[in-house]
Amino acid sequence: MAGETYAVEVDRVVKRFGSLRALDGATLRIRRGEVYGLLGPNGAGKTTLIRALVGLVVPDGGTVTVLGRPARNLDVLARVGYMTQQAALYPDLSAEENVAFFAAIHGAHHGVREALEFVELWDRRGSVVSSLSGGMRTRCSLACVLAHKPDLLLLDEPTVGVDPLLRVQLWNRFQRMAADGTSILVSSHVMDEAERCDRLGLIRFGRLLAEGTVPELKGKAGVDRLEDAFLKLSGTGAE
Amino acid sequence: MSGRRVAAITRRLLQQFHRDRRTLALLFGAPLIILGLLGYLLRGGGDVPVMGVVNLDAGPLGAAIASQLERTKTVSASTMSEAAAESKLRSGELAGYVLLQSDFSARGQQSRVISPQIHLEGSQPGLSQTIVQAVNESFAALVGQAGGVRFAPQVMFVYGGPSFDTLDYFGAAFIGLVVFFLVFVITIVAFLRERGQGTLERLMASPLRRGEIVLGYMLGFTVLALVQAVEVLAFCLLVLHVHNAGNVGLIFVLEGLMAIAAVNLGIFLSMFARTEFQAVQFIPLVILPQVLLSGIIFPISTEPGPLTVLSRALPLTYAVEGMRNIMIKGADLSWSSLQLDFGVVLGFCVLVIIAGILTLRRRIA
Repeated sequence: MAGETYAVEVDRVVKRFGSLRALDGATLRIRRGEVYGLLGPNGAGKTTLIRALVGLVVPDGGTVTVLGRPARNLDVLARVGYMTQQAALYPDLSAEENVAFFAAIHGAHHGVREALEFVELWDRRGSVVSSLSGGMRTRCSLACVLAHKPDLLLLDEPTVGVDPLLRVQLWNRFQRMAADGTSILVSSHVMDEAERCDRLGLIRFGRLLAEGTVPELKGKAGVDRLEDAFLKLSGTGAE
Repeated sequence: MSGRRVAAITRRLLQQFHRDRRTLALLFGAPLIILGLLGYLLRGGGDVPVMGVVNLDAGPLGAAIASQLERTKTVSASTMSEAAAESKLRSGELAGYVLLQSDFSARGQQSRVISPQIHLEGSQPGLSQTIVQAVNESFAALVGQAGGVRFAPQVMFVYGGPSFDTLDYFGAAFIGLVVFFLVFVITIVAFLRERGQGTLERLMASPLRRGEIVLGYMLGFTVLALVQAVEVLAFCLLVLHVHNAGNVGLIFVLEGLMAIAAVNLGIFLSMFARTEFQAVQFIPLVILPQVLLSGIIFPISTEPGPLTVLSRALPLTYAVEGMRNIMIKGADLSWSSLQLDFGVVLGFCVLVIIAGILTLRRRIA
């Protein structure tokens, strides 16, 4: 641990929305260069946690540190790529114009082509986003967070609506990016995707129930399947 | 056709409205507010022009016309000295005054022509017309006594002139209003779209500062608004031939300030709407009362007292007044009234820019 720096450190974070505790003492650490999967059912607190990392949600308690600095830090945000759950794009701009815009606000002047090639949209770069299919929009949205070559990628359910072949390709690329030093946080509720992560955090009711590699979590729960491990560790195994 | 299916649609619509309290409030509240305001404006005020009577005539005719004018209900006339009348006319306290010269009666009896001088402020054609008509009527009431005398007043204008018409009066105000209104609507809808499509969340999660977002928006829309301002101005001056006694550059600067104010008001108010549908509801709530109260249609001087206070608190009042000061009166920045108009509009711009920046963060939650 000595000298180890984490890309993300979340310590006992609490966030309330009225009477709902969306985050209830969540604690996790993401190492530099790892793919960390945040696994949990709908409403577990995944999106709130990710939004807290980029300062869109201000916690009521606890601390959030991103790339060594307390959130929300503008210098840090220039090194973060945040892909929202919804493919948030300008529908009347082309794919290339969208990616160029998001690159520009992150201070990058190059990387647009590379990002569009990465998501296999270079050939459709001139198409306005409103004319693209749902899957293509998701890919374009992903390209928007890649062009500025972030050190930390926050992907909120990035593969929803993406066909299986491209999903496999994207995961291979995420792993290559991680190998090159990019830290990646992926939220998901799809178990086969979770198996591709270096480490997983199981979240429910705003709390991190368990953390570890896939074999570690299976071992901890004493089961063979990740899905069963999740159900057992979250206390819903009997259902 | 199935009655049940039709009923299902009707029921669903009413359920939606039941949940959308704001729309219901607008639907049932706004007409009462707007019509109430209009009624109060039209019936509650002393909406008669204030005029002076300068009677220098030693004979009986001058005194008769003066007392007739003071009795009439279509104007609020009072006797005063020529110097006081001229000064009040210049300051805008009087819409006009009638000067009955020292030889007024004598000339009337000799030439059988009565020709008083009517001095009009001239910037509001409606008021000018009422004054000329009141003087005419006071003469007509005396015709029986004077017998066979012709009435031929000499009418003089401080601003405008005999050809100055209603379009000249409204045109000056509408040049600014059209730009303000359209830019406001476009900005508020565009900003809400930014939120609705999720891109605002992305912007707020980027290294952009709030001020940069507002400034970027402001510049983008201001470019469009200024092009629109040039178009509106050129159309009014070159095609409609709206009267202009002032500096075109100054009109353009004031239009530009109104555009900037509209952009930032749109950004700020977008915080109080969740959907584009709700944003459009700001038009009857925010824009229409301003149109009624800012002196565009009804002169502020004729409004009931409490509404005058409200009118004086609205920035659009100063923008409209500034436009008219420049275009009708030929004012420049050495005029204290125009300095006030520019100052208030500029101050409002700064205020809404700050409000837009400060509230930006809250609207993505």
